[in-house]
Amino acid sequence: MTKHASVRAGRILDAQLHLLDRQVLDADRVPIAAVDDIELTDIASGDIAVGTEGPIIENLLSGPVLATRIFGGRPPASRWHRVPWGLITELGTAIRISAPGSDLDVTWVERWMRDHVIGRIPGGRHAPE
Amino acid sequence: MLLSDILGSAAFDGDGNRLGAVVDARFRLEGRTSPAQARMVALIISPRSTSSYLGYERKAASRPVILDRLLRWMHRGSYLVNWEDVAHIELHRVVLRPGFERRDAALEE
Amino acid sequence: MKRLFAVALGVLTAIGGFVDIGDMVTNAVVGSRFGMSLAWVVVVGVIGICVFANMSGRVAAVSGRATFEIIRERLGSRAGLANLGASFLINLMTMAAEIGGIALVLQLITGIGPLLWVPLAAFGVWIVVWRAKFSHLENATGMLGLSLIVFVVAVIMLGPDWGALARQALVPAVPSDEAPATYWYYAIALFGAAMTPYEVFFFSSGAVEEGWRRRDLGQARLNVLVGFPLGGFLSIAIAASAAIVLLPQAIDVTSLSQVALPVVQAGGTIAFCFLIVGMLAAFFGAALETTLSSGYTIAQYFGWSWGKFRAPAAASRFHVVMIVGLLAAIGILLTGVDPILVTEYSVVFSAVALPLTYIPILIVANDRDYMGRDVNGPVANAFGLVYLVIILVASIAAIPLMIVTGAGA
Repeated sequence: MTKHASVRAGRILDAQLHLLDRQVLDADRVPIAAVDDIELTDIASGDIAVGTEGPIIENLLSGPVLATRIFGGRPPASRWHRVPWGLITELGTAIRISAPGSDLDVTWVERWMRDHVIGRIPGGRHAPE
Repeated sequence: MLLSDILGSAAFDGDGNRLGAVVDARFRLEGRTSPAQARMVALIISPRSTSSYLGYERKAASRPVILDRLLRWMHRGSYLVNWEDVAHIELHRVVLRPGFERRDAALEE
Repeated sequence: MKRLFAVALGVLTAIGGFVDIGDMVTNAVVGSRFGMSLAWVVVVGVIGICVFANMSGRVAAVSGRATFEIIRERLGSRAGLANLGASFLINLMTMAAEIGGIALVLQLITGIGPLLWVPLAAFGVWIVVWRAKFSHLENATGMLGLSLIVFVVAVIMLGPDWGALARQALVPAVPSDEAPATYWYYAIALFGAAMTPYEVFFFSSGAVEEGWRRRDLGQARLNVLVGFPLGGFLSIAIAASAAIVLLPQAIDVTSLSQVALPVVQAGGTIAFCFLIVGMLAAFFGAALETTLSSGYTIAQYFGWSWGKFRAPAAASRFHVVMIVGLLAAIGILLTGVDPILVTEYSVVFSAVALPLTYIPILIVANDRDYMGRDVNGPVANAFGLVYLVIILVASIAAIPLMIVTGAGA
């Protein structure tokens, strides 16, 4: 796969401006989540030794972390729904990834609603006519 | 670590003086992977407002002129601090090294 | 020929789709109390909705991002959530008002109380949202909504003193028996009714639903710039009909039968039939738009899959939100609250929430990351900024005026 210019080395990104609150689209361009928070590699808490490199983005997060970003506190890490940084194929006005949404935790509520509510109502699985 | 642990943190200089709040984090894409890795290279500190710039931190964004001026005025005095000048990070508190350098925060892109 | 047909269809549906229960009730109330002295507000409101609907449609067509995605991306999660809460509640009030309006029209025909019709009307809205194609529902309700031209016909048939009407409209003055605060309160209500935010949520999301591209923008602009002003003209005709018939007799508009009175007086049963069809189509169309908007706003804020072009199972949370919204609207109406009252409050609260929606649209329409070479020109920005000031003033003044005037009593 050819690299999209937006994900090549050398680009400068500001988190608030380019990443947080952007729409994430899966391999089929279906919206799957908004970027609610970002998970970074841990840095040793406290003092930072001279020469230590800055943390790296590991995952985009969506789901319960939105509530804590707005209202404070933090959910246990087991409830962070992740979109791994390595899946990203384009960082534009939307963020595109290379996987189908069904492979990811962030869509489990969507799938649950589909399987237990909407899919059970007659006509729910067909496109409108 | 969550990015939101850093964003909104109070920033202090080496002597314990409060400088303002961390309003954004700047990353640089690096390495040969696709996508390239995003490494944090700087923090943006605003002495006045923790609200969003609404996109007017970019040099290219300047219209409508009145909104551009208003947002820049609200964030006047904002500056960029390189990661090398960050001495200490804990929850909601960032301390800079003595003699840290204030750089222009505007984004060229 | 086919092209001409598409253009005509777009313009006609924009006319029919412009008027909803908010426009109808507010214009009738204003006409019956202030004559034509507030007609200028409809003109101001129509230009405003043209400016911003056009802008939001352009952003959606060029960038593929609908209005609430932009609101969250620009305002951030916190201010975005505050906006979502306000927009969703106002939209829910409007939804309840439109569904209540359908029930009131059915009561007008059958004489059977509105509460029976509320669940049926809501179910009808849901079935269409569930199964009908986007373009079909827009075209059908828009075309049938054109029957409201009966208001224009009624005004002509009533043979008014045109000079007096024109003088009221062109040299506006506060009527001697009304307080200035009340006059301005209704000015804001009319402005809110013309510029209701759900129209841009619906319009921009519709652009994505129908897969607009740059080349469709000419058609879109034509629909807006011709259709909405003609819709505004319909609104003014509603006010005029009330000013001619209701104002001299000091009849207050408290229900739809007063709105209908001038039409019946002018054109009898046939005119009444047109009016019924027009009102049903207009309220039903607006009920569909607000129901979809409830799904659009929430799904776009949270980044969920949305859209009628997908099967419901492929946008499950979007459909759950709309079902819950419809149930909530039924709940509101079954408390027995008067839909006309809900309408009157919803247009004022719309005015309060206007800046939250229109500021991000103006900003993103200037953003080259989104728009490339299609960013706003100086004219669009000049209009946008003038309206930003008007919107801010209306928003700030709305609640104090509501309190001072006792909601226009």
